[in-house]
Amino acid sequence: MEGKVGLGLRRDIAEEILDSRILTPDFLEFAPENWMGMGGAWKRVMDRAVESFPITCHGLSLSLGSPEELDWQFIRELKSFLDENRVTIFSEHLSYTKSRNAHLYDLLPIPFRRDAIDHVVDRIRRVQDLLERPLAIENVSYYTPVAAEMTEAEFVNEIVERADCKLLLDVNNVYVNAFNHRYDAKEFIGALPLERVAYIHMAGHEQVEPDLIIDTHGQPIIDPVYDLFEWTIQKMDPVPVLLERDFNFEDLEQIQGELTQIKGILNRHWEVTHASA
Amino acid sequence: MHLRKETISIQERLGEYCRTGVKLELPGVTPGRIHHYRRLISNVVNDTLHTAFPITVAALGEHQWELLVQDFFADGIPQTPQVWKLPFEFYQYHAGRETGKRIGKPFLDDLLYFEWMEIEIHTMPDRPFPDFVTEGELFNDRLVFNPEHEIIQLSFPVHTHPVREAIELEGEHYALLYRMPESGHVQFLNLSALNIYIITRLQEEKVTLNEIKNEIARVAGIESGRYLDEALQKFLGDLMERKLILGFTRN
Ligand SMILES: [Fe+2]
Repeated sequence: MEGKVGLGLRRDIAEEILDSRILTPDFLEFAPENWMGMGGAWKRVMDRAVESFPITCHGLSLSLGSPEELDWQFIRELKSFLDENRVTIFSEHLSYTKSRNAHLYDLLPIPFRRDAIDHVVDRIRRVQDLLERPLAIENVSYYTPVAAEMTEAEFVNEIVERADCKLLLDVNNVYVNAFNHRYDAKEFIGALPLERVAYIHMAGHEQVEPDLIIDTHGQPIIDPVYDLFEWTIQKMDPVPVLLERDFNFEDLEQIQGELTQIKGILNRHWEVTHASA
Repeated sequence: MHLRKETISIQERLGEYCRTGVKLELPGVTPGRIHHYRRLISNVVNDTLHTAFPITVAALGEHQWELLVQDFFADGIPQTPQVWKLPFEFYQYHAGRETGKRIGKPFLDDLLYFEWMEIEIHTMPDRPFPDFVTEGELFNDRLVFNPEHEIIQLSFPVHTHPVREAIELEGEHYALLYRMPESGHVQFLNLSALNIYIITRLQEEKVTLNEIKNEIARVAGIESGRYLDEALQKFLGDLMERKLILGFTRN
């Protein structure tokens, strides 16, 4: 999987990908929550995908940062799903999506605080134990810090080191956060334990205010994010790279163009991909 | 628990704000940014429910619909980690509070239930298909039903009539929803109580039509004879064509 370029499997483009018409990713990423426990037509789509492509999974609802107890029943079901579908990498967000036992279906920012570090480290370790696989934790985009006592880089670093987990580095999220919170993106990435990165996300975003970008996954990747990506991969070993695209699927040629562009950058710096393809 | 009370309270207050929209002060936030979280989360919930219940939205109108969504999100506690199952919780929430009666839309429960069941039948886990053969005799062989179906009872026939007409027809109505074996598409049939009785008997008791013909006649209050045979032939032949009956058990 190192140096391979994947695409998220969304319903709107599933048939298109499985028939390899315009979109030809090397691997596919699922959100397990969107497919677990499903039968019928969607189950058949998923089965076809699993037969034809290597699969990674990107979780949405573990809510690693919430105060309430983890949903162990769900995590057991998740483990079965990951096992059944031969999932190679499982990642989750460094955020919380549940509050007072209510699911909120979006990624809320965890306060960058020492007690939150202890809490999250403990939870990541327990989840990894139950899943019997390492977790890759994603740096999320956020629109405001909340009651922070340290920087984001300090927060992420300490969690990943102490939980002894992998990192999913979302390069677009770094760009978005650097813009929204006025810090230096390269400095941030330079401070991360890049040897722990198991997986990279790339995506487009939308600027909604002069000083605010929202991480939408609906637009093409912008050039500064490609630049940041190229700068980053020279500092690390090859890993799989995923293009996240959640909507706006009118122009598939354009999306395939993004996959090709990512691959072109990888091939300039990472030797491993030349032989395969 | 490693978290301090203060951190927990900050996290929970942010979560509450996202669900209810009630303004709050949080320490160490960038001004003018928090509302984006509420907006993004509301979009997910609105889109999910709007897509799941197109007929209900049209029947209530956007304004009343939005109030129902707001009530649910502020007061109900979304429990499922899988957002595509949220429409079921929305149905349960409003059925449990008799919202339909309260707002003068007595058909609401039925409509939400029916629209949810279309999703449920489309997405439910695969059920094992029994062995069957396609050649057989309708009256003498045991029939094999497509196991991927559910029968629901409604007070208003919202599955067959526009809401404004259905509202005049309160009574006992039945719909059978099922999944087509190849395509996975959902179909539904409008059935009488007698139809349901026949289908249930044939499936549960593993009997042939001939074995229960007289019983059916008794239940229907008609004579067993050519008229009944023809009616059964037509009804069950139709179910076979529609792939609710797959075929016959292997003898
Ligand atoms: Fe991401």
